[in-house]
Amino acid sequence: MGKMPQYGGWAGKVLRVDLSTGRITTEDTVEKYKDYIGGTGLGYKVLWDEVAPETRAFDPENKIVFATGPLAGTSAPCNGRTAITTLWPTCWPKHLVGSGHMGGHFAAELKYAGFDGVIVEGRADHPVWLAIADGKVEIRDARRLWGQGIRRTTLEISRQMGPEAVVAAIGQAGENMVPMSVIINSVSHSGAGGAVMGSKNLKAIGVRGTGSIRIAGNREEWEKAVRYHLSLIGANNQIVVPSSPQPWAEHYNPGSRWVASRGRTWGAANPPIETGSCEPQNLNRIAYRTNNAAFFLGEQAWRYTVRGNGCTGCPIRCHTMIKVPTVASKYGIPEIGQSTCVRMIFGKWFFKSFPDGPLGETSIEAAMVGMHLADDLGLWDNYGQLQRDFQKCYSEGIFQSKVGEKEFRRYSWDKFEKGDPAFLFELLPRIAGKDGELASALGLGTGFMLEGWGISEEAWKSDRTLQYWKLGHPKHHSNEDAGQCGVIINTQYNRDAQCHSHTNFTRNGLPLEIQKRLAADLWGSDAAVDAAGDFTPMNVYKAKMAKWALLRKELHDSISLCNWMGPWSSSPLKERGYKGDDTLESLLYSLVTGDRKSPRELDEVAERIFVLHRALTIRGMGTREMRAKHDTIPDWVYGDDKDRIPFTKGTIQMDKDDIRKAMQMFYEEAGWDKETGVPTGATYRRLGLSDVEEKLAKKRLTA
Amino acid sequence: MKALIEADGIVEQVLNVVAPGQPVSRRRVLKLCGATIAGMASWHFFGMGGGISAPLIITEQAGGLVVADPTRCVGCRRCELACTEFNDGKSSPGTARIKVRRNLNFGPAGLYTGQCTDGNWGSGLIVQDFCKQCPHPVPCADACPNAAIEVKPPVNARVVNPDRCTGCKVCLKACPWEMMSFDPETNKATKCFLCEGKPKCVEACPAEALTYVSWVDLTGKVPSRTTPVSNRSVACIDCHK
Repeated sequence: MGKMPQYGGWAGKVLRVDLSTGRITTEDTVEKYKDYIGGTGLGYKVLWDEVAPETRAFDPENKIVFATGPLAGTSAPCNGRTAITTLWPTCWPKHLVGSGHMGGHFAAELKYAGFDGVIVEGRADHPVWLAIADGKVEIRDARRLWGQGIRRTTLEISRQMGPEAVVAAIGQAGENMVPMSVIINSVSHSGAGGAVMGSKNLKAIGVRGTGSIRIAGNREEWEKAVRYHLSLIGANNQIVVPSSPQPWAEHYNPGSRWVASRGRTWGAANPPIETGSCEPQNLNRIAYRTNNAAFFLGEQAWRYTVRGNGCTGCPIRCHTMIKVPTVASKYGIPEIGQSTCVRMIFGKWFFKSFPDGPLGETSIEAAMVGMHLADDLGLWDNYGQLQRDFQKCYSEGIFQSKVGEKEFRRYSWDKFEKGDPAFLFELLPRIAGKDGELASALGLGTGFMLEGWGISEEAWKSDRTLQYWKLGHPKHHSNEDAGQCGVIINTQYNRDAQCHSHTNFTRNGLPLEIQKRLAADLWGSDAAVDAAGDFTPMNVYKAKMAKWALLRKELHDSISLCNWMGPWSSSPLKERGYKGDDTLESLLYSLVTGDRKSPRELDEVAERIFVLHRALTIRGMGTREMRAKHDTIPDWVYGDDKDRIPFTKGTIQMDKDDIRKAMQMFYEEAGWDKETGVPTGATYRRLGLSDVEEKLAKKRLTA
Repeated sequence: MKALIEADGIVEQVLNVVAPGQPVSRRRVLKLCGATIAGMASWHFFGMGGGISAPLIITEQAGGLVVADPTRCVGCRRCELACTEFNDGKSSPGTARIKVRRNLNFGPAGLYTGQCTDGNWGSGLIVQDFCKQCPHPVPCADACPNAAIEVKPPVNARVVNPDRCTGCKVCLKACPWEMMSFDPETNKATKCFLCEGKPKCVEACPAEALTYVSWVDLTGKVPSRTTPVSNRSVACIDCHK
C-alpha cells in the first residue's frame, strides 16, 4: 500500500502534454491547484500563469485545459461536467478567455484513469490523438482518423482502447479550425473549443480508467448526504413542480420540464414505459421526470422516445434518446438520435417553417438530421445564434449581396423554403469544410462574420429577435428570466453566459409568493425576485442574487457539479415549504475531499475563481474601462414591440437608468470599482490574488 | 488430494447433524442431496475462523438476487457508484459488482461484431450485468484454489472471504458471466454479496430498473460471456460421473 493521500475526491495528478515536443509530464493537483479546486478554476489559473495576453486562439502558445473537480466520477448527483478552458476563437474582436462545459462520461473516466485534468499545449507536426489509460499516456498517430467524423473516430479509437473507453473528439469542423466547432464525447455531449484542438493537430483524447476515487468522509455520512441531495432534486433546470396536475402536487406549471405523467410514455422503448406520476419522495423514479425531446420537439416526441440518457451519476436524464425510423431511409442517418436543449433543435432552428407545421413530423426529422450532422461534424450553434444569423442573412438578402450569384445558387433554396431537412446536407458539411464564402462566414461566429462582411455590430444589437448580446455571442437567460439580475450576469462573460443559477430559481415553477419567501432566506429580502415580465426597479438584493448566481456557476464548474441542474435553492418537497439547501456544495465538497470548508469559505474560493476570470479578461482587453468596453448591454434590452414602459406587467423591457444603477450595485457587492468595473485592490487581496493585482498594476489595469 | 480429505471431515460433520450416530456411506450422503447438504458451507455451521477448513462445494441456495430490466436502464451508473462508494468508500466502477460500464457504449456484443448494436452508440439498450448467485455448481467458488468464496448469511450470498483470497484471479476466468471483479488496490477479488439483503444498487437506481427478488435460478438462462474453468474439477467426480 502506498501512502494514503491527504485528500479524497481528487485523482491527484494533472497531465500536461506538449504536442510540439511530445513531452508528457504530470503535476500534483492539490499542491498546485487546490486554491482553485479544479474545472474552470484550474483552467483560468493555467491561462493566467502561462498564456500571454497577446496570444490568439489558434497560436501554438494558446493552451486548452480539460479539467474536472473533486466531485466528478462520484455519486454526487449531476457531476458529469468537464470544463474546457482556452482562448475563445469566436470571441470578437479579440480572443479572450472562455470555457465550455462538456457533460457525458469523459470527466469520470479521466478521474478513474488517474487525472483531474489535461493541459494541452503546443502544436503537433502531424495529426495525433492522445491515449490515456490508467496513468499511461501516449501521443498516437491520427493521420488515418483525420477527415473522419466524430462517430467513426470514436469507434476506431474504441477498437484500440477497448469498448469502455470514453473518447472526446473533434470532427471535420474542428480539424478545419472552424471557430464554430465543438468537442464531443459520449455521442452527444459537447463543449466548444473544437477548433483549438484542431489548431494543435489533436484529433481526440481517448481515456480509459479502472482506478477509483476515494471518498474521504465517513461512508454512512456520504451515503446520507447523497440521498439528501437526491431528495431535493427536481427535474431538468431544477424545476420543482410538474407541468400538469399530479395527484401529489400542490402546484403545476405548464412551462415546467417536469413532464412525467400517467399516460405519457416512452413510446419507442420495447416494451413502452409509462413515466407515471413520479412522486418527489420516490428517488427511484427521478429519471422519468424529464423528457427534453417532448419539451423541445413537442408532445408527439413521446412516441419516439426510447429513454432518457445523460452524464455519469446524474439522475436527471436531460439528453433524451429518440428513435425515428423514417430518417434512416430518407436521409441515410442512424434512426436513433439523442441530445438536449438547443442541440436537440439544432437542425430544426434553421428553418422558418415546415410543410406539416412547427411541431410536425418534418420538424422532428429536421431535428434528427441536425443532431446527427452537428455531432458528427462537430459544429457549434452558439446557443442558437448560428441559426438566427442564418435566417436573418437569408431573409434580408445579406447572403445574396455578400457571396455573389454563383455561390448563392449552389444552395437549393427551394428546399430551404419548403422546410426540407435535406437542405442541411448542403449547408452543414460546407460550414465544417469552410466550403465557400457563405458557409465559411457562418463558421466564424457572429462577430467575425459581421466584421468580414462590413456589417456593423449595432445592426445585430438592436434587433430583438436576434437575441445577440456582445463579443460575438447571444444572451443566455437574461432579463426575460430574471430582470436586472439576468442582465448583470450576461455582461460578465466573453461568450454567452453559461450561468443557470438565477434561472433555475426564477423558473422553478413555484408561485411567486413561495419564491419570495425562499428568496428572503437566500438573499436577505423577498425583493430579490419578481415575477418574470412583471419587474420592479433595481434593489441591492437583486445585486446580491446576481453575485451569488455567478459565484455558484464558477463553483459548480470547478467542483464538477452541473450548473444547468443546480444550485438546489428550492426543492419539490411541500413538507419543507419547497426549501432547497444552499449549503449542499459545501457538504459534498467537504465529505468527498476531507477538506472541510464552510459554505462561506467555499463561496470565497468561488469568488477567487470568478475574479481571476475577470482579471484575465481585463488583461486580455488591455483596458480597465470594463464597464464601458466590456460589460455592455445591447439596445434591444431597452425596447419593447408594443411600446410598453418598463416596470409594467407584460414587458421584459429594462430601463437604462435603472440598469446603470444595477451595474453599480453589482460592482459594489462584488468589491469592484463602481466607475470602471475592475476589482479593487482590497478585493484582490481579500481573495489571495495579490500577485494578480501586482501584475495588473504594472500595466495600469487596476482601479 | 488434501481438499478431498478435508471434505471427508466436513461430510462427517454434516452427517452428525442429519442423522446423528448413524453410520452412512459416502454415496448415500451425496444422494441426500439438495436441502440436506445445503448448509455445508454455512459460516455459522462451521464456525469460520475457528480453524475449521472451508467447505469443498457450495450447495446451499442463495436467498435473493438482483435482477435488471435493460429497457428501463438510463445508463447513469448510479448503481455501480453506490455499490463501491457505500460499501468500500470509493467511486470505482471498475470493481463494482453490478456492471453497466462495459456495456454502456456498444452493448454486450461490444464493437467486435462490426456494428454497434446496443448501448449509447447503438440501439440505446443498456444491459446491466449482475451476479446470478449461482446454485451448485458455483463456478467462482469451485474454481478458487483457496476456497475463498463462501456462503454468507443472512441471504446466503456467495462472498469472497478476503482473508483467504490471494488475488490469483482464477475466479475471474471461471465466472461464465464475468461478474467477478478484481481490486488492484486491495489485491483481492470481490463480487456481489447482496449488501446483506438490502442491495445499494437497487436503492440507487433512479429508473426502477433494478429489483431485489427471491432467488431464482438464472444460470443457463442468461447467455454467458466466458466458458467456465475449474481447477478443482477433480473434486466433482463423485457427483458428475
